[in-house]
Amino acid sequence: MKKFLLILLSISYVVFFTACEKKETKIPIKIAAIEPLSGPYAALGKDIIDGIVYSADVINKNGGINGRMIEIIPMDNAMKAEKTTELLRKAIDEGIRFITQGGGSNHALNIIKQLEKYNARNPGREILFLNNSAVTTSFTNKDCTFFHFRFDSNVDMKVAGLVSHMSRDNTVKKVYLFNQNYVYGQTFRKTAKRMLEKNAPNIEIVGDELIQPFGKVQDFNPYITKIKLSGADTILTGNWGPDAYRLVNTLKDSGVKVKLFGIYISQPSGMAAMGKNLLFNDVVVVKEFNPTNADDPEWYKEYEKGHLASKGYTPDADRFRFMLEMFKGAIEKSNSFEPKDIAYALEGMEGRSVDGGKVIMRKDDHQIHFDMQALLLSEKNDQSIIYRDKDFDMSYVNVGNIPVKDITLNTSCNMKRP
Amino acid sequence: MSLEVLVFILFNGLLYGMFLFMLSSGLTLIFGMMGILNFAHASFFMIGAYLGYQISIYSNFWLALIFSPIIVGLMGGMIEKYGLRNIHKYGHIAELLFTFGLFYIIEELVQLIWGKSPVPYKVPEFLNFPLLEISGMSYPAYSMFRLVLSLLIFLAIYRILAKTKTGLIIKASLTNPNMVAALGHNVPRVFSQVFGFGCALAGLAGVLAGNVIGTEPAMALLLGPIVFVVVVTGGLGSIKGALVASIIIGMMQTTAVSLEFNLNNLINYFGFTVDVSSLLNHFTNLTISQLSPIVPYILLIIVLIARPRGLFGKRDV
Repeated sequence: MKKFLLILLSISYVVFFTACEKKETKIPIKIAAIEPLSGPYAALGKDIIDGIVYSADVINKNGGINGRMIEIIPMDNAMKAEKTTELLRKAIDEGIRFITQGGGSNHALNIIKQLEKYNARNPGREILFLNNSAVTTSFTNKDCTFFHFRFDSNVDMKVAGLVSHMSRDNTVKKVYLFNQNYVYGQTFRKTAKRMLEKNAPNIEIVGDELIQPFGKVQDFNPYITKIKLSGADTILTGNWGPDAYRLVNTLKDSGVKVKLFGIYISQPSGMAAMGKNLLFNDVVVVKEFNPTNADDPEWYKEYEKGHLASKGYTPDADRFRFMLEMFKGAIEKSNSFEPKDIAYALEGMEGRSVDGGKVIMRKDDHQIHFDMQALLLSEKNDQSIIYRDKDFDMSYVNVGNIPVKDITLNTSCNMKRP
Repeated sequence: MSLEVLVFILFNGLLYGMFLFMLSSGLTLIFGMMGILNFAHASFFMIGAYLGYQISIYSNFWLALIFSPIIVGLMGGMIEKYGLRNIHKYGHIAELLFTFGLFYIIEELVQLIWGKSPVPYKVPEFLNFPLLEISGMSYPAYSMFRLVLSLLIFLAIYRILAKTKTGLIIKASLTNPNMVAALGHNVPRVFSQVFGFGCALAGLAGVLAGNVIGTEPAMALLLGPIVFVVVVTGGLGSIKGALVASIIIGMMQTTAVSLEFNLNNLINYFGFTVDVSSLLNHFTNLTISQLSPIVPYILLIIVLIARPRGLFGKRDV
């Protein structure tokens, strides 16, 4: 009997561990996505999560990464700093080695600083931060760290792109800077001023406004009056959310004709509040690709179609796709699931872009670089902007290519590599 | 300052002031007269805006303008009857906590029903044309419509409270409830009705403003504080005070936005300069325009210090 039990035990031991061994390779690669999914900024977080989850689904459908699937674990920080800290701890406790975040630069900085400490204290158990949208320039300059990679162009690059396009547009003579009074808006304003003076000396800055951010200003009439009286022909703005759509709507209501240049004016989550008011004035934004281009390569058409079918809209940003594709590429290249090896493999890695041109992760500061396009909002031509099952009957028209060299800037990053 | 700028300030200030009045007139009744600290007032405003959107999709703007406030008013009345009335005896803190919770419930409910991003609630087409123009800036007919309607609201409330028997009973129920009850009036019902009417006013403001400032789940959060400023500054229980306070705040804020003056200008005037890179420059460089958002709150603090009962108030805060 004793012998029998011993045999049974050893058999179960072998079975158990071979099962585990087998399971080991099948364990999904968990990526914690910390974004606001409740509260007033939930729409922003939902869009990011949708983009990342869909992108992961596509990779999984094609066999995953070296046999393992990606699992995105959405975590709701409600845009509150203390929750971000708490969720990051939770992710670490659960053994998650990859974090992605993008909504709110203050949260990104929080994660960067905490991971910097954690990674230094826990060699061999490092955690990689894939920054999907937080654009404050310092993250790839003085605050740069080895385990942080940014897959969106930073504020300086975006402004450089806008200014380089504006300098080629000879209808732009008098520009009014209109921004939100917090770290992002202030950076936008400072960079815009510096770059306009340096790269477009013939453009005059006739006004410079910083407003209380995040929709606290209900009445834009006094600001529009100021803009009108300043004689500006162009507004350069980094505004997003209500601060962008109230600007657009009030300009339309008061019949003031100016050009609008920006980054986030036409964010799809706010588009319902503007509708065709967006077409009253010329609105130009810079992006990494044209979301309504009908001449996309076949593989992207398929990607877009799948996104529309599963999420109810076409992607407005391409970065979630190439972020995970490059992540996959780095794992395959290094043949390792260790964040440190992946990080080394990501340095200098190239991704594929939709409209041709390059997508490349700069080694010096872990900042993505790509060709950008200046896009004008227009009536629908080939393909229209669709957001959550609503067709806006509008399209983007490419009004200028911004080559990557125009947005390649020096970095002050002095990367310490482990 | 040119005459042109002055005209703009007066006009923009009036428009914004009347918007604030519309928003806070209901709270004047609820907080000012009944003394209920209704933290969720702006939430009723938000519901009004969403209902306005929903009804105007299915029928038209006019029906939305009529039915949305009625629905919000009924909701408010119910909440008073089944919720606040039971809590009233535990005092202000309990009321505040109740309405605080209500605020979050409404915010999440709205997100569940209408989604997390703004809904396309548009100004009705037949009022969406420029009505008058002041040196290059046009003002759409809809903003004039809102201006006239908010004035009518003021006149109606003022008349009801001051001249009618209903107003007499309402005022008496709030100051001497036992006496009014002894005279045969149903005081709790009066309370529910006043609360419901206050909510209906917020709902009406929502229908009228939601299509201008954008209808989205965060709108209640952003408008929450300013309505208290108006009611306290104007004086508790005074509808006239709310009107005057709204217009004063509107004018002050619009004026502040137009002023590009900062402390550096003053320092330079006396022949000194502040080093651009110094820490001090961060403060002296702030223009009055940048400070405009805090103007109402400065006013609130001054009023609370100098005249705690507000401009036209009958009792202290």
